[in-house]
Amino acid sequence: MRQLWKIAYRDLARNRRRSALTLVAVALGLALLVMLTGLYSGAIGDSIENNILLQTGHLQVRDESYDEDKVSLAWEDLLDNSEELAAQVRALDGVQAASPVLWASGIVSTREESVGVRVFGIDPLSDVYKRVRDGVVAGQFIQPDDRSGILLSRRLAESMGVAVGDPVSLMVNTSNQQADEAAFTVRGLYHTGALSYDDITVFLPLSKAQAFTRTEGRASAIVALLENRERADALAQALTTPSLTILTWRELNQVILQAVEMSMSITYLMYLIVLAVVAVVIANTLLMSVFERVREMGILAALGMKGRQIMAMFMLEAGTLGLVGVLLGVLLGSLGVLYMATVGLHIGEMATVATAEIAYGEVIYGDFAPGATLALSAAAMVIILLASLYPAWFAARLEPIDALRME
Amino acid sequence: MEVIKLEDATRVYKIGEVETHALRGVNLTVENGEFTALVGPSGSGKTTLLQLMGCLDRPTSGRVLLQGEDITRLSSNKRADLRRGTIGFIFQFFALIPGLSAYENIELPLLLSGSNGKQRRDRVGELLEAVGLSERAKHRPDQMSGGEQQRVAIARALATEPVLILADEPTANLDTENGRQVMEIMLRLNEETGSTFVCATHDPRVVPFARRVVELRDGKVAGDKRYEGDTRWQVSGGQ
Repeated sequence: MRQLWKIAYRDLARNRRRSALTLVAVALGLALLVMLTGLYSGAIGDSIENNILLQTGHLQVRDESYDEDKVSLAWEDLLDNSEELAAQVRALDGVQAASPVLWASGIVSTREESVGVRVFGIDPLSDVYKRVRDGVVAGQFIQPDDRSGILLSRRLAESMGVAVGDPVSLMVNTSNQQADEAAFTVRGLYHTGALSYDDITVFLPLSKAQAFTRTEGRASAIVALLENRERADALAQALTTPSLTILTWRELNQVILQAVEMSMSITYLMYLIVLAVVAVVIANTLLMSVFERVREMGILAALGMKGRQIMAMFMLEAGTLGLVGVLLGVLLGSLGVLYMATVGLHIGEMATVATAEIAYGEVIYGDFAPGATLALSAAAMVIILLASLYPAWFAARLEPIDALRME
Repeated sequence: MEVIKLEDATRVYKIGEVETHALRGVNLTVENGEFTALVGPSGSGKTTLLQLMGCLDRPTSGRVLLQGEDITRLSSNKRADLRRGTIGFIFQFFALIPGLSAYENIELPLLLSGSNGKQRRDRVGELLEAVGLSERAKHRPDQMSGGEQQRVAIARALATEPVLILADEPTANLDTENGRQVMEIMLRLNEETGSTFVCATHDPRVVPFARRVVELRDGKVAGDKRYEGDTRWQVSGGQ
């Protein structure tokens, strides 16, 4: 075996250009896959993280009859004792922050423009929407006792042509299925990077939102952030109460998780295509190498090399090319992922094509996925070896005298 | 003792519907240590005969015995084993592996037969010396002259100390001087190592070197002469 390897190695070494080109093909193919995986895993991770921090939290307590799709504001669908419940959730071990939220749908208008929005009535002092508070880029965050202030995103403000201090009109649905309209002053502008979220989300202080929508101190949900999201199920268990629905971040982000699952099959298909291309390149290289060396095969056979040794030699060549190529590819791909993890990939406006339910950031950060990288490397090796079977078999099958005659 | 024996060996090639009778019943015995020239015009079956002797091919009918053992119906793996240990080949077109140095080419059969590193180094060094190419060990075939390449091929054929060395037109692509050198080296090694050489050729310059000349014509043995005495030393200049 060592002897065969030595012969195989010498052959690779003397066909430097061909070996190098094949290596590049394998390495680039794998690097591409590793980067895709990294980007993908990062994008999913980011968008779930974004979604948790910007809208769903890790844990939500709702009235069991609350219907999210209708953004229901009927009293019987809301939580009556929201402050009390929030305090109860906050008291649990592992809860970072919890506060009541009121959701309503509305329309923000200026004289020229009107835009449909989601109104978040929040406790401005709670850390639940810290991400938004930290994202204030002009003016100020809203204050709890502010009766006429509203927080818009910079993008929304720009698109409507308003600035801090300007008046806007906000119309909302109310608990009695009617609509009410009032004038607000833009107190501040925020920017989260999740463009599809920024475009349609406005914030009011909870008490003002409750008064405005005639919900009288009620809240749509208690939103809680946890220190460790893996504890969500355990804490949900602890909170289980009849007449309340407890939802964890997994249930709340089902749309993303399902989208992930769906796009996974497309991603696998892409992996397959890239790996197939790599396989074709390897098979082609080896086949060329066989044709080029038919006479050599004859000489080696005359020297007493057996068919299976010739086959093993070719597979060793393929394996060596594959292994080095895969290692290079993983290295190259990891560097790419490292770049994406630190600098990020600016997708800008493309982030808005996502729905508000999936808050893609305008910058996607990669995240190295060791499991997937290992699986891809192994798959690449297997496919390369499979692709080398035919050329190797072809070489092994040559009769020495036929091979020698080809001069 | 006989090294190789052919009994009524025939070889028919079929290309499509056309049958070509390369050998039409050859009876030939080569004794241990002999240096035999196999002569005859192109197409007389010299190469086919060498291929049968060298276990590269099997006769259509008849038998081939190597050191008394019938090798006629051996599997291709068994024949490969035989070639590796007992037979050395020297081809017309030198047949070195391009890209490998002289040293590495000579080392190949030793690698295949599983010699260890020191054995290989010693043996290759010895052989390079024997063919006068110690200085050219690191040169690749394309950096050597035809004569030098053929000397490397001789060294490679002898590497595993085979009992039978088959040379197919070894001087056909060499000029007079190089051809003479190659022949002299083969003769000297035949003398020194006692290996048996069968050398197919239609080069009249080669014939005087041989002690036995077998003539093939139309796939049959047409003549078989042994020359006693030392005619060859006169031709090679009595060095």
